[in-house]
Amino acid sequence: MHRSLLLASFVLLVVAGLAFWQQSHALAPLAITPSLTGQTEYCLTCHADLPEISPSHPVETFGCVLCHGGEPLALDANLAHSSMRGEANPSDLTVVEASCGGEMCHSGSALADRDHIQRVTSSLQATYAGAIAQMRYTFGAQPDLTPHQGIYAIDGLSAFDPSTETSPMLQQFGSNCLTCHLSAQPMTGEVYNRWTGCAACHSTAPASDSSLVHSLTTSIDYTQCNACHNQGNYSLADMQFHARIDEPSDRLHAYYQPIAQFTQCEYTLACTDCHTRQEVMGDGQIYNNEKEAEYVQCQTCHGTPDSLPLTHTISSEDELALRMAFLNPVIDLQMGDTILVTDKGEPLWNIRVMPGENGGLPSYELFSKPIGERFTFNPVMGSACQQDPTQQASNTCHECHSVER
Amino acid sequence: MNATPSKDKLITRRSFVSWLVKGSLAGSALLGLGALGRFISFGSQPSSPSQVDLGPVENYPPGSRSVATSAAVLVIHDEGGFRALSLVCPHLGCTVSVSEEGFTCPCHGSRYLPDGSLRNGPASRSLDSLRVEVDAQGHLIVYTG
Repeated sequence: MHRSLLLASFVLLVVAGLAFWQQSHALAPLAITPSLTGQTEYCLTCHADLPEISPSHPVETFGCVLCHGGEPLALDANLAHSSMRGEANPSDLTVVEASCGGEMCHSGSALADRDHIQRVTSSLQATYAGAIAQMRYTFGAQPDLTPHQGIYAIDGLSAFDPSTETSPMLQQFGSNCLTCHLSAQPMTGEVYNRWTGCAACHSTAPASDSSLVHSLTTSIDYTQCNACHNQGNYSLADMQFHARIDEPSDRLHAYYQPIAQFTQCEYTLACTDCHTRQEVMGDGQIYNNEKEAEYVQCQTCHGTPDSLPLTHTISSEDELALRMAFLNPVIDLQMGDTILVTDKGEPLWNIRVMPGENGGLPSYELFSKPIGERFTFNPVMGSACQQDPTQQASNTCHECHSVER
Repeated sequence: MNATPSKDKLITRRSFVSWLVKGSLAGSALLGLGALGRFISFGSQPSSPSQVDLGPVENYPPGSRSVATSAAVLVIHDEGGFRALSLVCPHLGCTVSVSEEGFTCPCHGSRYLPDGSLRNGPASRSLDSLRVEVDAQGHLIVYTG
């Protein structure tokens, strides 16, 4: 009896001592109480050295848990991270609504231009619906090119399941060719390195040394786009991706594959200087293919021999153009400035009209979104260009304006 | 010659074990009490006070517009007396910056006129006006909550 009592009391002492020692050596919590949640969190105890993710998401306002999830008061790393969303990437499309959504954030109304998540999740880049439809049509699984299936089910689309396809080619397509949508893990190789979800475009790619990346930006250079684009081709012959084999040494050669034709502006500027947010992030519609979704043409900025590009004069301080220019201040856009707009009315907020002298034709100044470099250009009208105004596909313009590599 | 201790001064094995048990239990109890005290005395982040003493009213002379960072407010002393405008943007809670043209939110670009009324979104309403009082000691008190 005495022996067991001695043993029990000794074990109790050791356990209590260990617990006390562990408690006294525990990290002193570094607390913040973000103004949006009012809930104290200790995440900065370990992560105080992380840079601010963006000027629009200051940590004292948003904190960490609102976007990342996790256990706000845990000081043990495993426990703190146990309920995080999307592991290191809360913008993965499987969790993006919980992380980035909300009426005031990124899943608000289309009227307020806050419907980013609704648009992105139905876009071709996310659903891959156009490619799936084309493949299923090509191999007899559906009677037309209309998209019926996507990478995941969403309004108007059911989920594509290659294992239920009878065509071996479609099964191979499912195995080998679903590597470039926003939910796919990137292929192996530095050029393909990117995150999934929103961060695929809006964040620096994962670091090779596994150090934490904490950045969000609307200043997106072509290298970000080229993690998926211009790196090779999917072959219908063997249903494989064939990587480009050249070894580009500069931007001129890196931007497009060797086979591509392009003009000077197409490789000098960033992709996002011309391609609009609705083209890239979707507009809520399910499109049949990339060509349908992309509607900006050379004439959008340059006009035709008969007409100048469409313009809009900023008349309200609530306009989207001013908001975009605030978030990426490469241009000092002001009320009363006239900018270019697309034929869908999207503001090309980084392109401002410069009136011509003595009532002459205007010219235009473009501020490239990634670095703010200024370019000027003239309209087709009044130039020696002999284009047919009805032929506006890029290959027509390439006939005269292609750059030699 | 070795002295042999008397039998009644020898610690018996039984009493040694008994003291050891008592000592262990007492030690455990002390450690437990220490941990309990540490637990009870632990204070999480104190919530922000709903009223903040902004100091003597003399610090806010007539015609002044003074930022009080301790309460994230702008104190305005005009012909109508003291007024306080919250510097917390009603859009998502960032702290707005103050200039002669008014207020600008550094997070998403909402702007406000010098009187705090909304100039442009994404915020959908003006900056909050807060209640201010002068207490018996002549200090300006602002009610933030």
